[in-house]
Amino acid sequence: MLVKAGTAKEARVEGRSPVIEARNLAVRYVTATGVVTPVRDLTLTVHEREVVGLVGDAGSGKSTAALALMGVVRPPGQIASGSVMFGGRDLLGLDEDALRAIRGNEIGIIVQNPRSSLNPMLRIGRQIANVYGAHNQATSREGWDKAVDMLRMVGINDPERRVGAYAHELSGGMAQRALIAMALSSSPRLLIADEPTSGLDVTIQAQFLDEMWQTVQATGSAILLISQDLGVIANYCDRVVVLHDGAIVEDRPVGEFFADPQHPYSRSILALQKAASEADAVAKRSDGEREKLIEIRDLAKNFPIRGSKKVVQAVENLSMTIGRGETVGLVGESGSGKTTVGRCLLRLEEPTAGQIEYGGTDISAIARSGMKRFRSKLQIVFQDPYDSLNPRWSVGQVLREPLNLHTSLSTAEKTARIGELLELVGLSPDIVSAKPRDLGASTLQRVNIARAIATDPEFIVLDEPTSVLAPAAIDGLVTLLRALQAELGLSYLFISHDLTTVKYLCDRVAVMYLGQVVETGTVDQVFNAPLHPYSRSLLDSHLFPDPTDRRVDRPDREQLEGEIPSPVDLPKGCYLAGRCPHALERCRAEPQMLHDMGDQRTARCWRVAEGDLEEAGR
Amino acid sequence: MLLRYVIGRLLVGVTQLLVLTIAVFFLIRLLPADPVSRFVGLNSSDEAYAQAERNLGLDRPIGTQLAHYLGLAPDEGSGLLQGDLGTSWVTGSPVVSEIGQTLPLTLELITLSFLFAFLIAVPVGMLAALRPGGKADKAVFVYSLFAGSQPEFWWGILFVYVFFFVLGVAPPPLGILSPLTTAPPATTGFILVDSLIAGNVSAFFEALHHFMLPVGTLVFILSGPIVKMVRQNMVRALQSDFVLYARCAGLPRRVIAFYALRAAMAPAMTLIGILYGFMLGGAVLVESVFALGGIGQYAIRSILAFDYPAIQGVVLVITAISLLIYLLLDIAHAFIDPRVAY
Repeated sequence: MLVKAGTAKEARVEGRSPVIEARNLAVRYVTATGVVTPVRDLTLTVHEREVVGLVGDAGSGKSTAALALMGVVRPPGQIASGSVMFGGRDLLGLDEDALRAIRGNEIGIIVQNPRSSLNPMLRIGRQIANVYGAHNQATSREGWDKAVDMLRMVGINDPERRVGAYAHELSGGMAQRALIAMALSSSPRLLIADEPTSGLDVTIQAQFLDEMWQTVQATGSAILLISQDLGVIANYCDRVVVLHDGAIVEDRPVGEFFADPQHPYSRSILALQKAASEADAVAKRSDGEREKLIEIRDLAKNFPIRGSKKVVQAVENLSMTIGRGETVGLVGESGSGKTTVGRCLLRLEEPTAGQIEYGGTDISAIARSGMKRFRSKLQIVFQDPYDSLNPRWSVGQVLREPLNLHTSLSTAEKTARIGELLELVGLSPDIVSAKPRDLGASTLQRVNIARAIATDPEFIVLDEPTSVLAPAAIDGLVTLLRALQAELGLSYLFISHDLTTVKYLCDRVAVMYLGQVVETGTVDQVFNAPLHPYSRSLLDSHLFPDPTDRRVDRPDREQLEGEIPSPVDLPKGCYLAGRCPHALERCRAEPQMLHDMGDQRTARCWRVAEGDLEEAGR
Repeated sequence: MLLRYVIGRLLVGVTQLLVLTIAVFFLIRLLPADPVSRFVGLNSSDEAYAQAERNLGLDRPIGTQLAHYLGLAPDEGSGLLQGDLGTSWVTGSPVVSEIGQTLPLTLELITLSFLFAFLIAVPVGMLAALRPGGKADKAVFVYSLFAGSQPEFWWGILFVYVFFFVLGVAPPPLGILSPLTTAPPATTGFILVDSLIAGNVSAFFEALHHFMLPVGTLVFILSGPIVKMVRQNMVRALQSDFVLYARCAGLPRRVIAFYALRAAMAPAMTLIGILYGFMLGGAVLVESVFALGGIGQYAIRSILAFDYPAIQGVVLVITAISLLIYLLLDIAHAFIDPRVAY
């Protein structure tokens, strides 16, 4: 059991009693430049056996609020006013020692950025034991044993060995779980989970949230789940609380919230979800007639490992075509090779093998210097808008650079073109002199797009361009990408793990697993009737923001077991065989080919090709 | 793992030393100096000059001289390979034994200084970091500015004036033992160790007493940068996510302080390593003020006398010690911070 058993009998009699009640909580930072109030007015209640979702934009004060509920503020901030009732006491009136006894014991917290929240110098077992020992009578040895138990409970393979690992030896997902193990070690009555699954892949995310939800139901504890992911909110929360500009603007049951949001901000973050469900109705352009723009044949990319003869196989024999004006989605969990494909297409990475034909020329074979004339036609937008812009350059300088490199316009013409580009991406031309640090993530991502289209490209690789954006900003960006495509006739390769966005934006989709494409087809085909076991599991784990079809209300679907194998020592047969519920001896023995399934679909599974798995499909 | 790393580092160190030896060998000979006339005088006869040149071995081709120095020509006498650093041209005694007489004192001086500087600087830096902008922090800022901005010999002289001349609590700055005390037999060369081996407790305390001011001077100078380093890293560690999380997890204050201190220690250790190597030769001003006769003074004397074998010997020994210290610190660093890989 994850969480301390509440007094279940009492709860059943009286209905749900509140676990924590915050009233008018405000957090203030006094700095040299003035007073900042990231949280102005936080009022919320979490009851027993309840999962409350706290949503809001980046910078809306969610994380600050989460900490303030435990009486913690990042220095030099302070709690300005309000009260937090927990267990009959106002936490904000308690002294440090009394608070310390509650933190980590009765209230557990999972924060974002798990890896930096773990002490880099201590083994995770020692850290968990320290936290456990701070709240329980336990010897050092008992604490260590408890750490092993906790790690096993959060689903870490081989906990006896991993308990001795340091934070830097863990993957993001494992660090996240170690943090969860720490937060739950004393079985808290309330768990505050701030983006608890941000570092996890969708299949693991679903597993973990399922478990948390079940525990809450079983023990009468409670969770405050902070997330920007509306899919997570819709599938697991009972109630939704919206934080906007530091204040709660909406607090309603999840069904009502999604069906009929009241506050303008709530409406704006739900817009994409609405658009995506309507996108089914929008006829996608038919596929067969499209003129071929890019054809990839047997693309492979290996990365040598330093000091070893082994290689990391990032991409293996990938073939794909992208038509003019088409958007192809590339989906898969982290480490599946999606980003490497995008980079190889632009020769930002040199492919190990294979051809990339663009407009009749094999651009994987021409000399690097010869690439220049193709560079203006092939562009890329990266995941992190902050990292991909030079912080010392103004927006104008950023946009002028491609014009200097690829055009022979006069200075005045370039200035005019910069204004035109900014208008195209929906920004005011006034921001030309702004520096990246003055602008928000969504504005910067639009600047990145403006830079990509500056040279009239035909094809743009969009490498997770929405992953750091808030829901409302994602909506705006996706709408923009569609509008640009219609206006300029662009083709996109859209790399993403966010299936909701892919569903809305893409015409066709390719599912990748461990460097291989395991399934291709139109979005409708793959999303409505996935063939390959991996695609099925991926789609099943994906949390679509629809509270009328909640995952927690569904019986368990087919699940993959275990973790992704290392791309260094790949299995001999099907790469999924070790995790697939349908695997047979033949799967483990034979490498899998991509079978043509007709209707322009392919799948890399002999059982699918022979029709064995139709029963198991939807 | 560790053993392989240490052996690897030692091999690299030996290679570095060899290259350095050869480089120094040629570089000294590039100096516009004439050591021969320094010995025989400017007005000596050509025969006397040639004789002196032959005695010093400078008449032979430079390749032969190098082979001889390195000990590659054992028939003509021992060299570096045999552990012989040659004979000082000034005193005629072996460079090895001269360094053996001067080096231990410097090592004692700076090791003691670093030990105390460390013991003082770490808690002070912690204190300053716990309340950035507080009184302790401001005092530390003023102190490190003040101590670091003035040369160490000046502080040395000032300390002599205050503690010996005015207060009379320190001995006169005339070496490590008073001229009337008989030194214990030199077993290791380290006066503090030798006096204990010989059971001569009074000599031990006398040496300690004499170390008081020079060590105090160095501690005063060295603490500044170390305090700053510890403070800076500690402040950063206290603002880090893992300390914030430790607070959220309800860990006791002393555990949190320990988390932060450990994060702050590693960079401070690196700084100490660099300063130690630097002070091996750089303590000469303090050695001179207190007439201690350490390796720094020996180096200066050798350079002024164009005593080639002595100069080469000093460079070689100081470098070797620095490399060893760096290695030890890297190992210590790896123990503190598991992210450091061998």
